[in-house]
Amino acid sequence: MSYDLIVIGTGPGGYVCAIRAAQLGLKTAVVEKRATHGGTCLNVGCIPSKALLHASELFEESGKSFAKMGIGVSTPKLDLAAMQAFKDTGVDGNVKGVEFLLKKNKIDAFRGTGRIFEPGKVEVKGEDGKTQTLETKNIVIATGSDVAKLRGITIDEKRVVSSTGALALDKVPGQLLVVGAGIIGLELGSVWRRLGAKVTVVEFLDRIVPGIDTDVAKNFQRLLQRQGIAFKLSSKVTGVDASGDKLKATIEPAAGGAAETIEADIVLVAVGRVPYTEGLGLKEAGVAMDDRGHVAVDAHLQTNVKGIYAIGDVIAGPMLAHKAEDEGVAAAETIAGKSGHVNYDVIPNVVYTYPEVASVGKTEEELKQAGVAYNVGKFPFTANGRAKVNMTTDGFVKILADAKTDRVLGVHILGPDAGNMIAEAAVAMEFGASSEDIARTCHAHPTLTEAVKEAALAVEKRAIHM
Amino acid sequence: MGEISTKVLVLGGGPGGYVAAIRAGQCHLDTVLVEGTRVGGTCLNVGCIPSKALIHAAEAYDHARRQEKTLPFGLKVQKPSIDFAKTIAWKDGIVARLNTGVAGLLKRNHVNILRGHGVMLDGKTCRVETDTGPETIRAEHVILATGSVPTPLPSLPFGSNVISSTEALSLAKVPETLAVVGAGYIGLELGTAFAKLGAKVTVVEATDRILPLYDAELTRPVARHLATLGVEVLTKAKAVGKSKKGDALVVEVGGGKREIYAQTILVAVGRKPLTEGWGLEQIDLTMSGPFIAIDERCATSMRNVWAIGDVTGEPMLAHRAMAQGEMVADIIAGERRVFDKVAIPAVCFTDPEIVSVGLTPAAARAAGHQIQTGVFPFQASGRAMTLAAEDGFVRVTARADNHLILGIQAVGAGVSELSAAFGLALEMGARLEDIGGTIHAHPTLGEAFQEASFKTLGEALHI
Ligand SMILES: Cc1cc2nc3c(=O)[nH]c(=O)nc-3n(C[C@H](O)[C@H](O)[C@H](O)COP(=O)(O)OP(=O)(O)OC[C@H]3O[C@@H](n4cnc5c(N)ncnc54)[C@H](O)[C@@H]3O)c2cc1C
Ligand SMILES: Cc1cc2nc3c(=O)[nH]c(=O)nc-3n(C[C@H](O)[C@H](O)[C@H](O)COP(=O)(O)OP(=O)(O)OC[C@H]3O[C@@H](n4cnc5c(N)ncnc54)[C@H](O)[C@@H]3O)c2cc1C
Repeated sequence: MSYDLIVIGTGPGGYVCAIRAAQLGLKTAVVEKRATHGGTCLNVGCIPSKALLHASELFEESGKSFAKMGIGVSTPKLDLAAMQAFKDTGVDGNVKGVEFLLKKNKIDAFRGTGRIFEPGKVEVKGEDGKTQTLETKNIVIATGSDVAKLRGITIDEKRVVSSTGALALDKVPGQLLVVGAGIIGLELGSVWRRLGAKVTVVEFLDRIVPGIDTDVAKNFQRLLQRQGIAFKLSSKVTGVDASGDKLKATIEPAAGGAAETIEADIVLVAVGRVPYTEGLGLKEAGVAMDDRGHVAVDAHLQTNVKGIYAIGDVIAGPMLAHKAEDEGVAAAETIAGKSGHVNYDVIPNVVYTYPEVASVGKTEEELKQAGVAYNVGKFPFTANGRAKVNMTTDGFVKILADAKTDRVLGVHILGPDAGNMIAEAAVAMEFGASSEDIARTCHAHPTLTEAVKEAALAVEKRAIHM
Repeated sequence: MGEISTKVLVLGGGPGGYVAAIRAGQCHLDTVLVEGTRVGGTCLNVGCIPSKALIHAAEAYDHARRQEKTLPFGLKVQKPSIDFAKTIAWKDGIVARLNTGVAGLLKRNHVNILRGHGVMLDGKTCRVETDTGPETIRAEHVILATGSVPTPLPSLPFGSNVISSTEALSLAKVPETLAVVGAGYIGLELGTAFAKLGAKVTVVEATDRILPLYDAELTRPVARHLATLGVEVLTKAKAVGKSKKGDALVVEVGGGKREIYAQTILVAVGRKPLTEGWGLEQIDLTMSGPFIAIDERCATSMRNVWAIGDVTGEPMLAHRAMAQGEMVADIIAGERRVFDKVAIPAVCFTDPEIVSVGLTPAAARAAGHQIQTGVFPFQASGRAMTLAAEDGFVRVTARADNHLILGIQAVGAGVSELSAAFGLALEMGARLEDIGGTIHAHPTLGEAFQEASFKTLGEALHI
């Protein structure tokens, strides 16, 4: 069998690439070693984490804000098994959806581990150990990423877990220690805190959510602390002793100094993810890597070997599902002879905690570093009517605009539903919009998005409701 | 009797008027705002804000009630109770805070607030009956922002148990039975809220479907959900009055008459501009039907007399009033501006919510466009699945020749917050390819906008 394109890995990068390629008339196959399609994102990432975040938020909400509105409820009881079943239903619906889409687009799906024999040949090794070799004109590597490990800590996915284990706990831990204050650690830390765990987050740097605007991160940390999450910044976990009933984690100041021990029922290691290329045979195929283990690609997502492309978490850049998807589309279009393109300057980013954090474009630090003069417009949700009636007034919208041209350079939202609101900012930035363009767009009342408009007005110091 | 001279006089302190006054203050214009009741107008006091508060509380209560039986989240709560007096007090608290907030903003921008009913004596002079006696204000510029009031039905005059939205937002208790006359957005928003709070609700609508201003495809999920909530909807039905005993609403439907028992009857058949009782007859402005006629700068037929908001026509929405107010103040301050919005989003806070921005497919065809249109259902959205809210869709309509987007509609839980992205896309003159090419965060509801654009191009990825 000979194909125009074989995609290895069916995460959001891979399956989207395959669908787009099929739409463009390429004869396409995918290879996936997991039992279900959808990759990290659908199976053990975005989707299951968001399902638990939503359900746990409802759990907390009914205990918290209802009384103010005159609603009397007993303290809700948690049926964790049912909540996990809800999550599993969400995952199931999503992965079946991908399977259907692949079929609908007449894409051949091979189950097994793919290896690039040589350019133009992919070997698929099934679970039974049998192999077959497929021929193809082009290959897209979309093998994604894996959990980054920490020296001195062995992940057993029972008590010392990665995000995958943390999504599947069958009991709410009394004490949860999260290693790493990145997005994944804070999202899952929030889930289990809401459901009753005492959560401590240890972070090596002196700040949480590295990469996010510092002003936002500081306020975000304050709000999380108010919810009961404890932080130990500038600290590192050097080992976890799993010999007793309780886990004992050793924590040292990042700068060196006296160690302390923290007990926990569960330790979640969330220090990032690393590109996954194991067993792919890249060396044999002569595919170059960068010094951080990513597959190296050019501006057209092609590796140094003609006909071999790579997309998603396995290459450099933000490890986000929508970045992988967009690269998938671009690679398919390039292979089909069109001009696929990814705009890396406008990739939104969302943290699905409460409040949410969403941003797109540059942070203040990045602008300062680049020596760009900018104006700041900021508007708090305490002054937004919709946030008031929803009792979700934490946070603000911040817009950074070029001091000379007023072009929007970055939008940062800490607040309720920030993830849905960031779409407007992304569209605006794709158009090179000015803050005035946003300010003069009629925003529906009463919605949270009025805060975006007001922040845009605030760039020129003319906010109305502040 | 006092006399005040000022650069700008604003008559009416609703969202149109108070925003105009704040903006005028920011532009350092000497400004007086006349308001007969409380600043914030219909919107803050008896409209958008209190209705959304009630809708939020009702949704929370309904959620709690359904948690154990029909919702999938694994939460068990015992039968929840509602103390409606407390709900109303909570809502009143929010309204009061916003009133104070708006008054504070006006003061901070040096706007002189004059409380009392104002009557225009001519195009420059207004007489206001304040608590401390009458005042006369002379102004170079007058901004008329008197807003609107509920339209009464001759056969069902307001009074006793026949109420408007205003009273519906301050009921002492949840009525056991509620008849809603008019299935526009106000009637449905409030009817849904009361159904969730435990009332047996019947909706009576004269046309052949609910939300007649929106198309049938868009309103279907709302109709479906009303049925789930046990709300009976009578279409092609005409409310003709109360029964003899006064305990029922009499409706002509299907060629016969039917009595609908109702403790309370909410008449929500629309709103009309407030053009009486404040001296409009003295200044004799050109009208456009029942509304004050304005041009694209909100100028009336009289020089330096401007009009904004509900008193000037459809769509009667707070954000249109605010945008006009902002603009008129800028114009008076010397800026060159016209009201050239491509998009004024309309949102129904029903369950699920509806958003419409720009043209619907039918309207686009009627306007002579050759169109392409595509729908992306939330059933195929990962985010909607994780929220257990899969009913609904995003629909995009574009010109067939150059793919310029003409309109975007959505129905679904939480879509009100997508309205800004839709509006901005239209204002920027986006084409389908532009939205398709904008990376949308995963998993968010906004991805459905991108996918609907792809779908319209015949290139949907996730359906
Ligand atoms: C807990 C968690 C939450 C997250 N939340 C979000 C979020 O909210 N939003 C967001 O944008 N991102 C989120 N992410 C990140 C997101 O999941 C990744 O960015 C995304 O999945 C990357 O897609 P990909 O296609 O590059 O790779 P993956 O999704 O990792 O898919 C790679 C696939 O390749 C397969 N594979 C690997 N090697 C082979 C081989 N040799 N042969 C055959 N198959 C192979 C793997 O089995 C896998 O299915 C989250 C991640 C985690 C862990
Ligand atoms: C139940 C309900 C829900 C609504 N929900 C929404 C929604 O979700 N979104 C939305 O956009 N719109 C909504 N609306 C419509 C919105 O309230 C109006 O479009 C908006 O208030 C119009 O603003 P305005 O400034 O033109 O007039 P108004 O808000 O009506 O304000 C006019 C003000 O002028 C004062 N006034 C009038 N005459 C005089 C006088 N002679 N002297 C002194 N003062 C005077 C009045 O007291 C009033 O305060 C809703 C309306 C209702 C009734």
